[in-house]
Amino acid sequence: MTLEFAEAHFLDDGTTVTMTELVERSGLTPAELEGLVECGALAPAAGAARAWVFSLRCIVVARTARRLREELALDDSHSLAVVLRLTQRIDALEDELRGLRPRP
Amino acid sequence: MKYKDYYAVLGVPRDADAAAIKTAYRKLARKFHPDVSKEADAEERFKEVAEAYETLKDAEKRAAYDQLGQHAAGSDFRPPPDWGQSHGAGQFSFDDIDLADLFAGLSGRGGGGGARRGDRPIPGGDYEAAVHLTFEQAFEGAELELDLAAVEYDEQGNARRVPHRMRVRVPKGVTDGQKLRVPGKGGKGLRGGRDGDLYLDITVAAHPLFRVDGMDIHVDLPVAPWEAVLGSSVEIPTPAGRVTLKVPAGTRAGQKMRLGGRGMARPDGSKGDLYAQVEIVVPTSVDERQRKLYEQIRDATTFDPRAHLA
Repeated sequence: MTLEFAEAHFLDDGTTVTMTELVERSGLTPAELEGLVECGALAPAAGAARAWVFSLRCIVVARTARRLREELALDDSHSLAVVLRLTQRIDALEDELRGLRPRP
Repeated sequence: MKYKDYYAVLGVPRDADAAAIKTAYRKLARKFHPDVSKEADAEERFKEVAEAYETLKDAEKRAAYDQLGQHAAGSDFRPPPDWGQSHGAGQFSFDDIDLADLFAGLSGRGGGGGARRGDRPIPGGDYEAAVHLTFEQAFEGAELELDLAAVEYDEQGNARRVPHRMRVRVPKGVTDGQKLRVPGKGGKGLRGGRDGDLYLDITVAAHPLFRVDGMDIHVDLPVAPWEAVLGSSVEIPTPAGRVTLKVPAGTRAGQKMRLGGRGMARPDGSKGDLYAQVEIVVPTSVDERQRKLYEQIRDATTFDPRAHLA
């Protein structure tokens, strides 16, 4: 097996993806993505509706949304958006908690 | 290949309709989803339940699964000889894939084998890998060797597990919980489709001295009472080496001293700061001479630290 070399990049390196690319990479439908933007779970980096561009960070958020949709068998965009916002809140609280824990 | 009884996992009869299967899955998902469940084996049970539902919710996959026949759960089995041809799944090696991989290649939402059987470009899938770093690796950057094994499908829908070994350079300034992207190192695209990416889920081990908050680093600075009162120069550790810090006279417990630019590196090249937080530490035992000196200070001062509580 040959050894490949690669560089890992931060997600906020300025690279953007179009709505079409985000649909393709996340597995969400355009309607589901629009629902996530409307509820504030996803924020376009630029562009007007249907011509949005997103930062790479949004791929991670959108893939999380798709995972939740599949895992919880969610049927509608509204439920998906609410669940995603709640998990984002949980993640933020866990980050805060990690910072408050005493060191070993 | 080990047989899994997906109907038994979901607790439904083999002739259950789609609605009953969905209801059964939702109930179990609520019970075992790792984000909400307190059950000890929640993650493993959830994976089991999700795998069963992934196959049974899709009519084509369910039909293909039913045609495998019924076997004892956990027993070794092989699909019937023409099973692969009947479901357009091509040839597969039983030795290096499991039951879930068998059905992932068939059609379903997200473009599986059905899409693969067409002639348009198919993008490769994105992979995820967990990476554990020490604090030092996160601060300085690191090169890591990753061994990945992913199931890949060719244009005929043949499934095989392909090992990849790669050496990945992780940039400095990575923090706990961050994700990094390795472009083009995910699944191979088919018919000119773009290759997928590899996402790294970063965990950084806690450090006994340093605490990271955003891009800033915090360290406790113990000082003796006389150092706080009289002022002093003290040496403290930083991730980049020891530095000398001036403790001004009259320093109070809890005060933070900022060392600019000694925190975590940002992608744009700038750096966060390091904060040394003062804690005043008293000796646990003193000899007779020291005791008398402390008593002299006590008797000579009118300082009252609890004046505001009166």
